[in-house]
Amino acid sequence: MDNIVTIFIFGLLLGGIYGLVSIGLTLIFGVIRITNFAHGEILMIGMYGTYFVYVWLGLNPYAALIVVVPAMFIVGLLVQRLLIQPLLNEPMMQIFATFGLLIFLENLVLMLTNGAALGIPSEHGTRVISLLNNKVSVAQILAFAASTIIVISLHLFLNQTMMGKAIRAVTQDKRAAATMGINVNRIFLLTFGIGTAITGIGSVFLTPIYTLSPTIGGSFVLAAFAVVVLGGLGSVWGAYFAGLIIGLIESFAGFYIDPTLKSAVWFLIFIAVLIVRPSGLLGIAGAEEVGLREQQ
Amino acid sequence: MSSNSTSLKALTEPQVADAPARHEKLGPSSLQVLGNYLLGMGIALVPLALLYNDYYWINILTFAYLMAGLASAWNIIGGFGGQFSLAHGVFFGIGAYFAAQMYLIYGISPWLAMPVGAIIVALIAVLISWPTFRLRGPFFAIATMAFNEVVAVFANYSESITGGARGLLIPFRASFSHMIFVERWKSTLLMFAFMAFVAAISVAIRHSRLGYYLLSVREDEDSARASGVNVVAVKLWGMAISAALTAMGGTLFAMFIRFLDPPTLFSLPEVGVKFALLSLIGGVGTIWGPLLGAALVIPLENFIRATLGGLPGVHLVILGILLMLAARFLKRGIVGALANLHWPQWKSRR
Repeated sequence: MDNIVTIFIFGLLLGGIYGLVSIGLTLIFGVIRITNFAHGEILMIGMYGTYFVYVWLGLNPYAALIVVVPAMFIVGLLVQRLLIQPLLNEPMMQIFATFGLLIFLENLVLMLTNGAALGIPSEHGTRVISLLNNKVSVAQILAFAASTIIVISLHLFLNQTMMGKAIRAVTQDKRAAATMGINVNRIFLLTFGIGTAITGIGSVFLTPIYTLSPTIGGSFVLAAFAVVVLGGLGSVWGAYFAGLIIGLIESFAGFYIDPTLKSAVWFLIFIAVLIVRPSGLLGIAGAEEVGLREQQ
Repeated sequence: MSSNSTSLKALTEPQVADAPARHEKLGPSSLQVLGNYLLGMGIALVPLALLYNDYYWINILTFAYLMAGLASAWNIIGGFGGQFSLAHGVFFGIGAYFAAQMYLIYGISPWLAMPVGAIIVALIAVLISWPTFRLRGPFFAIATMAFNEVVAVFANYSESITGGARGLLIPFRASFSHMIFVERWKSTLLMFAFMAFVAAISVAIRHSRLGYYLLSVREDEDSARASGVNVVAVKLWGMAISAALTAMGGTLFAMFIRFLDPPTLFSLPEVGVKFALLSLIGGVGTIWGPLLGAALVIPLENFIRATLGGLPGVHLVILGILLMLAARFLKRGIVGALANLHWPQWKSRR
């Protein structure tokens, strides 16, 4: 029983991390339907950014939010404007272009850091508190909390603000949105920027937990896509719960099946869900076709 | 407006006899196709003839031929059929492991294991693709990418089959029947033959009924279905052929490198997605595009690695930039750009 509680807690915390990684992609892939394979690498440069801000300014790593989040917003704007915007109607070219971006960013960081593994000194990553007789990392709890707060704010933003409504309108029908006076390109640009900035928040909270390496993005990108699809494209709460589900699956599979196979288990579940119900858990059936239909 | 007036003109003006009784040509004649193919292969053979004695270049050439063949194999389903599979690393890896283990455990010659492995992989490809072909566009790409990761995890896990993370080492016992050669140029010639074989199949498919069906599925799946094309069967055939050829490439790779481990075989940027990337840079969906892509990118990568070797990953930085530029400015690859430049009348054709 104790085991199960422990596995459950660790699964939830891991799920919080997956949520944190994926919420930005929910906006980018889920809402505006841009296939961004470089999402993991965007996260990775955010983490390196956090690290260098921490090293140079010597502040608490979480203080890097002030620098990293606006910087990532600008990175997002640049990527969208220079790379994605011209390919907006060509999902296949987006795959190629963002894969090129993935290879570029990963190896640029490898080149610049010479492959050295970097990490924030332990006191921020290893502080623990006791939760139901389990020692739980404070950094992971903070990540979980951040993920929850972001989801609530993003949900409110998309549903309550004019801008959020405009974003959803553009997803549903670009042409109709344009006739209502919405500047479609500007919405895409800002949404991509916001998605990247949210990923930047995620990267700040992940930096104390993980050792940085240029390839760290690769271990998150499929997870992020799996979370977005499982949750239902465009559903913010769906992504949150899908993150938790994947965290729990990984945690339980790692304990009861085999630690090396834990990711394969949810990969397979992801493929199965993708095939059986591409609209995801909380998505509207057929939602996966929205936006794509116009593009084809 | 203009089309209106021309059609009016056609109606009102009498049919003039000297308006040439044009046969709208559907494509080049088979003799032309054969001639082009032989010419292309002849050109591809020139570097081997020139460099067979050069230790440095012969290795690069070997890889360039192999990757050209593999990119061309991917192009059958990815280019002609428009199904952007990122699972080809799976087919490549199984082809490699199957031949290596048949050789290591039973002493079976890779010449025999290669076709058998290809058939097995074709069946696996059909099994994987059947459900995933329901997905379109990016969803298909993501699902196939997930397959690649699943297989990579299992390859790491099942040590009895793949040697796990430690890898498999194939001892160097040179002989023709082992597909291991002392003289490097013989391996190179073998890779050339593989490329020529894949290119021949690719040419044959492109000018066959299956090829036209694949193109129709790529251009508009629903219209293809409405016109009576059995879309699922066409995609499955394309995938099976493409996967079988990829598996053969895997076998050749295994016997050439003689060391197999999951990170090498299932690496997305170096294997699974590379086939697609080479095709894109060269010209996706064309016969010569994938070959040109490999002919340019593989030597370029090696050149950069050799000259800027002190910086790890620098060749991939440049590959990444190339890809972004190609996606942005060369949507139809080098072949498409050349066609636009010199033969604008090809614009309307693919």
